[in-house]
Amino acid sequence: MSGKIFFRGRDLTQLSNQMYRRIRGEEIALIFQDPMTRLNPLMRIQDHFLEEIHAHESVSSTEARTRAREALVSMGIHETRIRNYPHEFSGGMRQRIMIALALVLKPSLLIADEPTTSLDVIVEAQILEILQDLKEAYHMSLLLITHNLGIVAEVCDRVAVLYAGKLVELGSVRDIFHKPLHPYTQGLLASVIHLETKELHSIEGSPPDLIAPPSGCRFHPRCSYAQPICTERIPPLVEFEPGHFAACHFGDKFL
Amino acid sequence: MTGPATVVKAEPTDEILRLDDLKVHFPVKMPFVQRLLQRGETVVHAVDGVSFGIRPGEILGLVGESGCGKSTVGRACVRLVKPTAGRIFFDGQDITKLGGEKLRALRRRIQIIFQDPHASLNPAMTIGKAIGHPLRIHSSVFGPQKTGSEEFGEWIRQKVLNAMKEVGLTPEEQLYDKYPGDLSGGQKQRAVMARALILEPNLLVVDEGVSMLDMSVRAKVLELMLDLKRRHKLTYLFITHDLATAKFICDKIAIMYLGRIVEIGPAREIYADPKHPYTKALLQVIPIPDPDRRAKKVLPRGEVPDAVHPPAGCRFHPRCPAVLASCGWEARDFVDFLDEHLSDPKRAGDDETILGPIEDWRAKGLVASLETNPLKVRKAVERTNAVLVEAPVAMKQAVESVSSQNRTVIVRFRSHHQLLQSNVQGRVVECLLYQ
Repeated sequence: MSGKIFFRGRDLTQLSNQMYRRIRGEEIALIFQDPMTRLNPLMRIQDHFLEEIHAHESVSSTEARTRAREALVSMGIHETRIRNYPHEFSGGMRQRIMIALALVLKPSLLIADEPTTSLDVIVEAQILEILQDLKEAYHMSLLLITHNLGIVAEVCDRVAVLYAGKLVELGSVRDIFHKPLHPYTQGLLASVIHLETKELHSIEGSPPDLIAPPSGCRFHPRCSYAQPICTERIPPLVEFEPGHFAACHFGDKFL
Repeated sequence: MTGPATVVKAEPTDEILRLDDLKVHFPVKMPFVQRLLQRGETVVHAVDGVSFGIRPGEILGLVGESGCGKSTVGRACVRLVKPTAGRIFFDGQDITKLGGEKLRALRRRIQIIFQDPHASLNPAMTIGKAIGHPLRIHSSVFGPQKTGSEEFGEWIRQKVLNAMKEVGLTPEEQLYDKYPGDLSGGQKQRAVMARALILEPNLLVVDEGVSMLDMSVRAKVLELMLDLKRRHKLTYLFITHDLATAKFICDKIAIMYLGRIVEIGPAREIYADPKHPYTKALLQVIPIPDPDRRAKKVLPRGEVPDAVHPPAGCRFHPRCPAVLASCGWEARDFVDFLDEHLSDPKRAGDDETILGPIEDWRAKGLVASLETNPLKVRKAVERTNAVLVEAPVAMKQAVESVSSQNRTVIVRFRSHHQLLQSNVQGRVVECLLYQ
């Protein structure tokens, strides 16, 4: 591993494991795709909360319990259910419990890794609504990791597009959806099937093998605009317009 | 008990598949003693009275959330699960009770494709062998009779290579001897399609067949399906939770909720003007990939309820944004509402001391009751009325009376209207709003 990760001006890669534990949960919390596999099936919901609170703060059990109840109620789950086990909840409720667990230490950044992928469409919309409300209520930052561009358009302020381990485009959600500069972003947007889709589009080929990634621009074997330079030189991430970056040799062509 | 009833009768048509009031119930596993104590059987009402027909060359999209029974319908069509009641006709023939050799012959004509192509292919079987396997199973009705002979092997090989070419699994000669692990997801789904098509079926049941594929691969497989439909007049039952994908390829759409079809009709009309509140909700939650068109949504509350005890009347009523007083309100809806009310400390105040704990409430059909202290009964009735003021309007109107009897508070609901199917603008809707 190389590179740096800055959080509130501090390089996290320099931290010891012990110091990192003060960041995880307290400053940066994470929720995952499948809430069932992330909750311990043998532990009551209450114990998930207590374990987390006690690991980070020295508070009395009574206070920890009060906070756990508050977090649960804020997600619309009755406090009497705090003594239930994970399997006694529905998928949407489990994801709300995961969010409550992530928020109980009041982090300033929440990383949500495909938080709704395993949920039904209506429950998905409910959870996205909760995440947006929280962002505003707690002034919390959200890093939403998803493959669903529809969700991105509905929830996000800024978007980073990754391809084969590299950032290919970064910009405001409007930049990305209305003026994509990287051919991969363009292909991705074209292949979304939504209610107004008239014609199906797809990106030729398949994602490359990361053991021996393609030379130059990693997207060049699938790119219809590829020129000899694309196979030779790695395109740098360039700011083509204020706040809108792309890693393409011909990004200005699409401005 | 006034359950949903079918009034729209099937007319004899040229339909290739017809389901007539199909029911599939699964028993719930229970300890012996509990089973003895309980009168009647406890079953999951996976499919509870589904009727529809598909004409040759048509793609019918069966759409719903997980647990609505759509996959069970698909499996019943292929007779992978046994129908509890109702009938299934294939090409005019009643196949509900078919067995043995006749069932095997039928399976040649109806094939099914599942969601996960990886799990559908035997990892120890080469692609060529897997695709040709159905031909060996059905060799008695297919091809030259000398199984095991060299000609037979060669005949199968040619058929397999043709099928691979047909579904775009090329270069077919090279891929023939590969194992599933060597193929990409899209290639594996093509192999599964080739295997399903090699028997030249008339009907293909596709159960979430593209849901696991990447967007770019998904488009290709959908195009392949449309192409096969055009060239071979293949008929599909396309089962999916994704209304956007269904819109693209389906001629007809059936929306399922908790074992019932709530709306069915031509895709174009349903997408242009959905009638059932559930269909409206499903269409509304599909994200639009345009940040300038963000809109606040009116979402149905909660999640799909348990299919062991589906809600009375219209099964969608507890979540429905357009619910009426006559839709099927019953005692447990009140208890659920009260539970929600008590869980919000701001609204509840000291309600819990008088009306709680929620576990003390009994809900039976239209009557919810709470046994309490004789001195507290009057206060509890008053408080119940006060809490009901905050209830959804439709539920409030459905309450017939709040009364007391000795030490018991009783909340009684009116009985609901019988739910019927109605023809509305070219489609059939099961909703009181249109009755």
